Amino acid sequence: MTKTFTPSRPIWCAGCGDFGVLQALVSALEELKIPPHERMVVAGIGCSGSLQNNLSCYGYHTLHGRVLPTVTGSKLANPELTVVGVGGDGDGYAIGGGHLVHAFKRNPGVTYIVMNNGTYGLTKGQASPTAPTGYQDNLEEDLDPIMLGLSIPGSTFLARAYSGQPAQLLDLTLAALKHTAEGGGMSYLEVLSPCVTYNDTYRDWRTSVYDVDAEEGYDPTNRAAAFTRMQELREEKRLPLGLIFKGQRHALESVALNKDFPAPALQDIGRPDISGVCNDALQSFIR
Amino acid sequence: MNNNTKPRLEDLNVIVAGQGGDGSLTVVNILADVLRTSGLRVYTERDVLSRIKGGITAATLRAYNGERLCISSHIDLMVAFDQAAIPKYAFRLNAKSIVIYDSSNGELTAESKLPEGVRLIGVPLSRYAVKNFRRDIYKNSISFAVIGRLIGLDDGQMKIAFEKRFGRRGAQALKYNLDALNVGCTLADNAGLTIGEGLFEIVATDSKAHMLITGNEAVAFGFAVAGGRFFAGYPITPSTDVMEWLVKWLPKFGGVVKQAEDELSAINMSIGAAITGTRTMTATCGPGIALMQEGIGQLGMAEIPMVIVDAQRSGPSTGMPTKPEQSDINLLCYGGAGDFPRVVLAPGNPAECFHLTVTACNIAEKYQVPVFMCLDQGLSQNTATVDPIDLSSVVIDRGGRLDAEQVSKLEVYKRYLHTDSGASDFAPPGTPGGMGLVTGNEHDEFGLVSTDPVNRNKMVAKRQHKMVSMKPELPLAINHGVETADIGFIGVGMCYGVILEAIDLLAQKSIFAQYHQVRTLWPMLDDTPAFTKRCPNIFVVEYNATAQLAKLIIAHGGEEENINNILRYDGIPMQAQDLVNTVISKLNLKEDEVA
Repeated sequence: MTKTFTPSRPIWCAGCGDFGVLQALVSALEELKIPPHERMVVAGIGCSGSLQNNLSCYGYHTLHGRVLPTVTGSKLANPELTVVGVGGDGDGYAIGGGHLVHAFKRNPGVTYIVMNNGTYGLTKGQASPTAPTGYQDNLEEDLDPIMLGLSIPGSTFLARAYSGQPAQLLDLTLAALKHTAEGGGMSYLEVLSPCVTYNDTYRDWRTSVYDVDAEEGYDPTNRAAAFTRMQELREEKRLPLGLIFKGQRHALESVALNKDFPAPALQDIGRPDISGVCNDALQSFIR
Repeated sequence: MNNNTKPRLEDLNVIVAGQGGDGSLTVVNILADVLRTSGLRVYTERDVLSRIKGGITAATLRAYNGERLCISSHIDLMVAFDQAAIPKYAFRLNAKSIVIYDSSNGELTAESKLPEGVRLIGVPLSRYAVKNFRRDIYKNSISFAVIGRLIGLDDGQMKIAFEKRFGRRGAQALKYNLDALNVGCTLADNAGLTIGEGLFEIVATDSKAHMLITGNEAVAFGFAVAGGRFFAGYPITPSTDVMEWLVKWLPKFGGVVKQAEDELSAINMSIGAAITGTRTMTATCGPGIALMQEGIGQLGMAEIPMVIVDAQRSGPSTGMPTKPEQSDINLLCYGGAGDFPRVVLAPGNPAECFHLTVTACNIAEKYQVPVFMCLDQGLSQNTATVDPIDLSSVVIDRGGRLDAEQVSKLEVYKRYLHTDSGASDFAPPGTPGGMGLVTGNEHDEFGLVSTDPVNRNKMVAKRQHKMVSMKPELPLAINHGVETADIGFIGVGMCYGVILEAIDLLAQKSIFAQYHQVRTLWPMLDDTPAFTKRCPNIFVVEYNATAQLAKLIIAHGGEEENINNILRYDGIPMQAQDLVNTVISKLNLKEDEVA
């Protein structure tokens, strides 16, 4: 066996919610028998953006906020990879917020896990886009990315878990990976993942989370009903967990690539086809 | 008319001007196609505004019996769809010029500032277009008949050109345009321009088939042939045609093009594809390069290959989006946070755009660095006839890539292994056993984050050493003209054609000059500073206000005392005669003395 990097120990504080996310992701990848060389884990900037160092995979540490464009490019170039993007709420909703909208509407075959703690832990506790009004003098209303996702017609898988409830977190991680592996496109999983140092929300969240998976009659395939229910729960100051929405739409790579060829990353490009397509292109300039 | 008195058409310059949306470019494109099939080489240029319709715009064509990659200073024939366009370009007319203008709204007024002797032909183009087709736009097809008759095309030739141009737009479009051509022929008859009595006799010696191609198209074509399989971009003038060509063609090569939501996304999608081991390119211009700057630093730090096209336009900021400039040279060579290796290649013509893009793909992948293709609006968008590219000359060098078997034979695989060249062999994701970490943080050989000072020094040296090891593979300058001449020009991109013509014009006055055509701007290779030491009167020609190219050369040991600057940044392309005049006045040459 060729030796390669040894996954490092996480850099997170004891009690950080991100441990639960790492544990669930590793368990889910193993349960689905995805070998390390087929895993591509792309992480953002922030505490959560070091997760790729902690498991065996092809890991890439992207620029701040650019997880989604990066995973979209990777999946289009090599759809055979299991591409997982991970990052925090500042990375995904603030500096990278614009990309979230376009990723939902594109629906690339990637899983995107956001570890949401409502704060910028690595820079010592400034308000993030999901921080409630009043946190650190925050004057703004907090963003609900699930409702954002529901409002974009291309989205196909929206779920929320809580790292304090590991069984459901694992189930939803598995469901997310499966949705994507089955050609459903982008699976978006937000995990409420408390920052024990700058925004310890374990006590608040334990009582305010609400599981729609357990709610009788909740229909995750009904976008409008899901949106209405999210709004009601928001007004009740509850944090909805579970599979919020699952829709059906083709994955980006299934329509963007020319199926007559292997994936772009897997083609042998060493010798140009100079009597075929190269010559056709040349002749198009002569005609 | 006696044939012997006809001017020989060896160098025809035509400007078609009007309001944006009048179809000036269409007329010039059809004319270019007809003339190139007659054996002349053609070059076209556009002067457009950043709006879809309206404003005074023009398209210019030069047809030459030989190669010229610029427009001449004199215009033989002007076609004006709007009389208001005439004063803007009248200074380029002379006593022998002919002006065809739309007389629908009356005869030409005295304010048109025309030189004495210009022959005026008023044709009611718009009136006949509206009368016959109820659409003003058909005036361009009507005008084509008048132009064709003037320069001696026969009606059959014009019909064939129209069938080629409009045939693909459907039977109805073709019919209307052919009808418009007929209306034009009748108007030409009325104006005394009868069949076979054109004012010129086309003289052409080259009957080979040529490509008609822009720099942008040549870059895109070169990328596809070189095995480029992923492109992400965001539309921005004047780079957009790179993406447009690839949207049409790259899927046929097995590749994919993705239009991103902005340049930040474009470069990061490209990074996402590049880290899977796919040859990847993006294209933009100055404002986009500024937005991509963080990603470009990431390519340098994380050792990711990519080709980035900069079709430079007039800056700073939004500047003059449709106008040429070469003012991103500093940005390309020095831009970005921190120190990292990069390459900047500067082609001078469409054929070089093709070949240097192949080189750029190879260097990028072999050394795992960003490589810029430094173009400008003129080179990017002007069309030129080019000898068919020899596709068998394309060689692909992917550098050190490891497959599963090669990985399995290693005791240890390190993504950022220290090597003699500075570049480390790379196992693309999906390769069993080749797991690695890629990061823009400082890292150790495995890609694990590290701030250890010893490791830091070794890693900085590793990356910087690539600049040394790649040097023998980078394109050297090409010297044109008389090698012993003590007048020399340096210039890149759209300066290429102008400088080459200026050398010819000077030689006609027995003033001999040479052109040192730099093709690698970064790293600056030794031959360029050396040239500035041995040639005493050098003119560095560039489109910016601060002499960015000249300063780059001086910073690398160029001889400042030998260098004069010719700078232009008003959005107007230079002409060879401008350079000739500057050289003569700067060097106090008296033409009769040197002749």
